[in-house]
Amino acid sequence: MINVILTLLAPIIGGFVYGIERIVKARMQKRVGPPLLQPFYDFFKLMDKRPLMIHSLHALMGIMYFIAEWFALAVLLLGNDLLIAVFFHVIAVLALVIGASSVRSPYSVLGALRELMHMISYEPLMVLMVVALFLVVGSFDIRDVLAYEGYPILRLPLVFIAFLLTIPMMLQKSPFDIAEAHQEIIGGPEIEYSGPFYEALYTGKWIEYIYVFTFVFLFGGSHYWLGVLLVILAFLFINLLDNASARLDFRAMVKFAWGFLIPMAALNVILLALWQ
Amino acid sequence: MGFFSKFRKKSPWILHYNTGGCNGCDIEILSALAPRYDIERFGMLNRGNPKQADILLVTGPVTKNCKDVLRRLYLEMAEPKVVVAMGACAHGGGIFRDFYHVENGVNNIIPVDVWIPGCAPRVEALIDGMVEAIEIWQQKSKEKEYLRDHENIIKTLGVEDDD
Amino acid sequence: MGTLVALNIIIPWIAALIIFFLKKDIITNVLTFLMLPILIITAYFAYIQPHPSLIETPKWLDLLVSIYDFGLLSYFFYQGIIRKNTLISILATIQIIFLIIVLLMMPHSQTPNIYVDDITVMFYLIVAIIGVPIAIFATKYMDYSEKGKHSFVAIVVWFLGVMNFAVSVNNIEWFFALFETTTLASYIMIGFRGDREAINNSNLALWMNQIGGIAILIALMIFIKYNGVYHFTELLKHPEFVSMAALGFLSLSALVKGAQMPFHKWLLGAMVAPTPVSAILHSATMVKIAPYLILRIAPVIKGTLLAKLLIITTGYVFVVAAVIALTQDNFKKILAYSTISLLGLMMLAAAVGTPIAVTASLILIIFHAFAKGFLFVEAGVLEKVFHVKYINQMRRLIERAPLTLMFIFFGFLNMTFVPFGTFIGKWMMIEEVSNFLQHGSYILLIIYVGAGSAFLSILYMKVLGISVRKAHGIEKINWVKLPKTFNFVSVWYYVWLLAITVFIAPFIVDFVVPIAKSIAGKPEIYATGLTLHMYDSTLYFWQILGALIILSLIHILPYFVKFKADVVHPYNCGEKFPRHMETWNFECLAKYEGYFVAFSIALFVMVVVLGGGLL
Repeated sequence: MINVILTLLAPIIGGFVYGIERIVKARMQKRVGPPLLQPFYDFFKLMDKRPLMIHSLHALMGIMYFIAEWFALAVLLLGNDLLIAVFFHVIAVLALVIGASSVRSPYSVLGALRELMHMISYEPLMVLMVVALFLVVGSFDIRDVLAYEGYPILRLPLVFIAFLLTIPMMLQKSPFDIAEAHQEIIGGPEIEYSGPFYEALYTGKWIEYIYVFTFVFLFGGSHYWLGVLLVILAFLFINLLDNASARLDFRAMVKFAWGFLIPMAALNVILLALWQ
Repeated sequence: MGFFSKFRKKSPWILHYNTGGCNGCDIEILSALAPRYDIERFGMLNRGNPKQADILLVTGPVTKNCKDVLRRLYLEMAEPKVVVAMGACAHGGGIFRDFYHVENGVNNIIPVDVWIPGCAPRVEALIDGMVEAIEIWQQKSKEKEYLRDHENIIKTLGVEDDD
Repeated sequence: MGTLVALNIIIPWIAALIIFFLKKDIITNVLTFLMLPILIITAYFAYIQPHPSLIETPKWLDLLVSIYDFGLLSYFFYQGIIRKNTLISILATIQIIFLIIVLLMMPHSQTPNIYVDDITVMFYLIVAIIGVPIAIFATKYMDYSEKGKHSFVAIVVWFLGVMNFAVSVNNIEWFFALFETTTLASYIMIGFRGDREAINNSNLALWMNQIGGIAILIALMIFIKYNGVYHFTELLKHPEFVSMAALGFLSLSALVKGAQMPFHKWLLGAMVAPTPVSAILHSATMVKIAPYLILRIAPVIKGTLLAKLLIITTGYVFVVAAVIALTQDNFKKILAYSTISLLGLMMLAAAVGTPIAVTASLILIIFHAFAKGFLFVEAGVLEKVFHVKYINQMRRLIERAPLTLMFIFFGFLNMTFVPFGTFIGKWMMIEEVSNFLQHGSYILLIIYVGAGSAFLSILYMKVLGISVRKAHGIEKINWVKLPKTFNFVSVWYYVWLLAITVFIAPFIVDFVVPIAKSIAGKPEIYATGLTLHMYDSTLYFWQILGALIILSLIHILPYFVKFKADVVHPYNCGEKFPRHMETWNFECLAKYEGYFVAFSIALFVMVVVLGGGLL
């Protein structure tokens, strides 16, 4: 039941998460920060702007991105196979990238290509993480993972750390906010969207928060308090990292993912498989 | 004035553009973002992107090079939008007035709604100007705003495909 | 059954002969078109007959095949001499010597030489449904300023017959003959245009494929010496006694035929030939012999060191070919690299050898054949109608060639995205392999599959991104009228792919699973309605349908949706736009290509030496 509610209300809950994040970020910088409902104010304001677009394909892809992102979340929460949910996320990336590279704006195209670099960094790791969860739980079913008696985090510490460091790549946080890079390419894939069309991307990002933190929650197994604790810790850690670090080059990101995160996660999986 | 218009004042997003001033005003803008004044309290964000911005904050006397750039940025912004001219240079050129390379202020290029005086204006003045701008902004509608000689400008500023 | 098999094999041969000698436009067109229903019907009847079945052949046929072998090898030798390529002649000589040794050693056997089982029939169907439309496509393609239309179509049709024959033989010596015949066919087709580049590339294809022939002959010698058998069915009867060295060599020949690195150059060379050649090589025939061969020996090699080394090698090729494809700018070359990559995945799945892995391999073979045939047909249309060969010429294709771009988009979606068969193959692989992670090679496999599919996805997105790029306002969409033949072939593939994807669960359970069952035992896959289950995992129908709808909207809707909003310039800091805009070509990766190939050679040697137990 709760998963149906979470799926249906994902944009709203995601909006609150984003609002909290902006406050947390501001407090970390000794600022007051915007009110909690700020994302929704932005949302309503964007509804009131005159719709402008480059061409219909571009605007359409923004909307498809939102739909695909929401559908990926539905697959994750209402379906039962984690691996399928991971692959569904690629559809959202497809819509985003096709949209972003369909305009002749250098920033947008650069952002699209960097988005692809993000994908090769986190996609294999997500697959590996799901397999690692399978190794502990014995099932790819999200319900079995959530009913697991033990503590998956204790058996998969390295996988969890690897995933924790992957979250900035998925949510576009510093040091890996390479595709968005607000000071450099001004939002990358989202730059050309304006008014109501930008709204689709803006809310799509909120849904992605829920999508990513659901995976973090799974590391708690059936101990929901642990899952919540992990989500909160991960949330704080990501924001701290976002505030404390500068942006890296995309090469550094790919090297970091392939040279450090994936071997680390694989090591954990190998050792665990041998142990069992 | 629909239901959504009420929320305008809660999230004005800013596009800041320096048209060739001395950067004094820009430093003040940066300090407005910093912890001491923190204009994000009011939901203001410096987006750096005309497509998603509501308030165009212009500093500097508008050099000849910047003229078309300023026009393009203005045209790319979606209505309703407000232009705020900040600092003495933006008001008719200031110290640069009648130099060979300036256009003598923002008003000669695009219509300005709010003027913030000072060289450089204090942050308090900036925030005051922003509040003023938001009030004007709330009165505006979604209708397309025209520049002087709009059609010709669009034609000269257009983008072509490569083949 | 015997008649049906004979019909499946002989009809294309006869049709090819008629086309070749009559050289009349109307006969060529009508006959190739008629081949489609005829071959589908014969293949279908073969499918509903009870199988597997062994079919006796007359004694003289044995002799004929041996004589044909010598004739073929002498032809290769002769070609080597007139083309002044000593390597070809030397390899042909080695093969002749080995063949003599094999024939002298060969004991008499009562086992029939033709063996038709589920994989064979599946290949009949693939050849009929996917291969024949390419021949139909070729009849129109060759009208566009190409010489020798009739002989070309004849060779394409003949190739289909050869393929049908190759997958139905039981005797490995016959298989060698057919293997070399496909080599011959590809040699003729690649060199068809007769210019310098074509001849060089056909030479390359010839000598590389002859290495595969030598490997088969060595395997045959070892089989006869140690096991005294030379039939596939006999090998499968006593899996524990079969010599690993021979299997190692047999897998080597599969790797060569499947254009795995470092032998990938010949398949890339096929690009210089007319596009139907690439289509036929990549989709229904030729390279598919490689996974076929591995599937044949899969029950024997399952779980051995050889299988693990094959997994490591082919998985490596899967990733690296996708990486190198990123650096290419020729559209056909990109497709060729992605074929190499996916062939790696198919062989990897076959080498794992468990029931579900075999199912995954079969699904990949079927869907890859459909999608690649489709994509190469569209590449041919682009080349002839729109004069586009390189991806930087593909800009604004959405306005210039909307229908073709839509088909290409769909083909690309088929190669990696969610509800389509290729994805299901990968999904099954990962979930299956997760059950025995205590072996390092299987963890490597998971990383390979995850990484390879990510690389392939970004490859396709990159190409698509270029072809939809437009400064502002996609308004003047130019619906060019394409020839009817082209449209028929495109729509044929499109509808098949769409239909199979919607009904993918029943398709897998009713068609693919029985085939896998005959190879490796019953897989744990079943369907309820249109929902697919595997072990505890479920791919719900609403997921399949949802993804299909989203992806269909993404690739069809742009032509029809027109938002009523004002058009604005793209953002470039308010500055004037640069005249040209390029895309990343991943130059930074191109310099590693040499290292990639060098490493793949090491893996190849490892497969034969360690996997075959030669040490």
